[in-house]
Amino acid sequence: MKNRVAIAFLAATVGFAGSAAAQEMVFTSWGGTTQDAQKTYWAESFTTSSGIKVTQDGPTDYGKIKAMVESGNVTWDVVDVEGDYAVQAGNAGLLEKLDFSVIDRSKLDPRFVTDYSVGSFYYSFVIGCNTDAVAECPKTWADLFDTAKFPGKRTFYKWSAPGVVEAALLADGVPADQLYPLDLDRAFKKLDTIKADIIWWDSGAQSQQLLASAEAPFGSFWNGRLTALAETGVSVETSWTNNITAADSLVVPKGAKNKEAAMKFIAAATSGPAQAQFATETGYAPINLEASALMDAELRKTLPDMQAETQVNADMSYWAEHRDEIGTRWYAWQAE
Amino acid sequence: MALWATAGATGNGKRDGSLGYLVPALLLVVIFFIIPVLMLLLRSVLEPEPGLQNYATLLGSTTYLRIFLNTFIVAAVVTILSVSIGYPVAWLLAIMPEKWSRLVLAIIILSMWTNLLARTYAWMVLLQRTGVINKTLMGLGLIDAPLPLVNNLVGVTIGMTYIMLPFVILPLMGVIRAIDPGILRAAALCGAGRLQCFLRVLLPLSLPGVAAGALMVFVMSLGYFVTPALLGGTSNMMLAELVAQFVQSLVNWGMGGAAALVLLVVTLALYAVQLRYFNPNAAR
Repeated sequence: MKNRVAIAFLAATVGFAGSAAAQEMVFTSWGGTTQDAQKTYWAESFTTSSGIKVTQDGPTDYGKIKAMVESGNVTWDVVDVEGDYAVQAGNAGLLEKLDFSVIDRSKLDPRFVTDYSVGSFYYSFVIGCNTDAVAECPKTWADLFDTAKFPGKRTFYKWSAPGVVEAALLADGVPADQLYPLDLDRAFKKLDTIKADIIWWDSGAQSQQLLASAEAPFGSFWNGRLTALAETGVSVETSWTNNITAADSLVVPKGAKNKEAAMKFIAAATSGPAQAQFATETGYAPINLEASALMDAELRKTLPDMQAETQVNADMSYWAEHRDEIGTRWYAWQAE
Repeated sequence: MALWATAGATGNGKRDGSLGYLVPALLLVVIFFIIPVLMLLLRSVLEPEPGLQNYATLLGSTTYLRIFLNTFIVAAVVTILSVSIGYPVAWLLAIMPEKWSRLVLAIIILSMWTNLLARTYAWMVLLQRTGVINKTLMGLGLIDAPLPLVNNLVGVTIGMTYIMLPFVILPLMGVIRAIDPGILRAAALCGAGRLQCFLRVLLPLSLPGVAAGALMVFVMSLGYFVTPALLGGTSNMMLAELVAQFVQSLVNWGMGGAAALVLLVVTLALYAVQLRYFNPNAAR
């Protein structure tokens, strides 16, 4: 009982200190061109309108989030995380509930909203190819898994996350509407057939470097990274056939020092204009339902939400539930 | 670097009776090293539930055992290469005129001061399929297709050997410099040929330096992260990468702690062996 009083007292003091120092907060994301855009179109315009200074940090590190929450010294206020992690971490008690009296839930794409998270932006895993390096480009996941027709190295996302397992199953002929629950045995068997020809990319910047240098002339990429690469003059071809969507989410770690500012930041970052500007810059799709109308019509055609015809939505709640199981198996398979 | 500094300090055999001066240093070690290691140990037997299941999983899986084995093989190969390349360099540095040896030494040390990431990325650029090395070899008509030099064991070995070289050269140079040139002259006067001079005089006398450098490189290689992560592929993963994966991606700290501790125990055991059998004081 005594302890509980002490904790309550402590929490009250911390809460008080938090609101007193609410003129500053920390936003953490994955670095590179994506975070640059988040800084410009979300953080800086938020600072202008609210007067709250936003410090950038990164890269996002789930180990660090856990360490911060456990030690009670949470230095990140808003973090850009992968959608499946957001669902899992929310269930595991690592996140603050979002304040939907500040954040306007009705304007947000409901696919990416939970009690603990809202979408940050969403993207597709697409097939990218350097047309200067090869005579013919793979058009489908089956092509990308066909080493006889398309010899050479191909690059895939290294970390266990929605995308690669789905691609393997689609390549093996599983119909898009029957992907879940994922047949992991079948996926890994398919992946085994190209394992020796895979170079893994562990960051968006690395994926661009691999494709531009033709170290891997084709592979699976985040669509926005291909848009950015094409703008630098590299001859990139993008195939949207069966593009696999996944989203990043914005979350507030439990015990964040500037919770109030964090909620306001999320409200601003997910607003129509902020989402539209971010999407224009990066080629990732907005998660605010009003954002598309604010964007250039030509540009909208290059966004994942206009490629819905053969689109496959990765099932975030399936992933959240099986994240550890798939992850353990994924990394063990990689190391074999 | 601290390692050979202490090796040198105890080398003259002086032992100060009072431990009082050591208290601040000991305190530092306890707070910043011993306590965190103990906490790691605790996590490895408490998470996700009390018991030794993390160790059982780790040591019972062929995948993880292969990573252990791979780590040791890479560390051994890097050590052998570093010593084979570093020895002649150290020897040359020891017998060179002072002004030249200073210059070469400055270059070696300067490379150590350059950011590790920058150096590793430089190797990535050099070694890739469209990199300078492959382009040159193809341009000369020596090879038809680019050699796979990166994202595999070759890349890791090249990158790590390069980074570890100074750690062999510096202690070795000190040891070779300390050898009285008169001994070599005496050997030659007694009729020893060049090879014999090297094999029976110089090499045995410089062995403590070789052992110190080799152990340092081996131990550092065992726990290396950046270079294998950037230049290697996933099928030849090293232990430090596995630990990072457990801690950051899977957020399974119990397993991460267990893997880190196994590595620590093996490293300490190796160090103990080195102290027992290759003690520089005993060798002299």
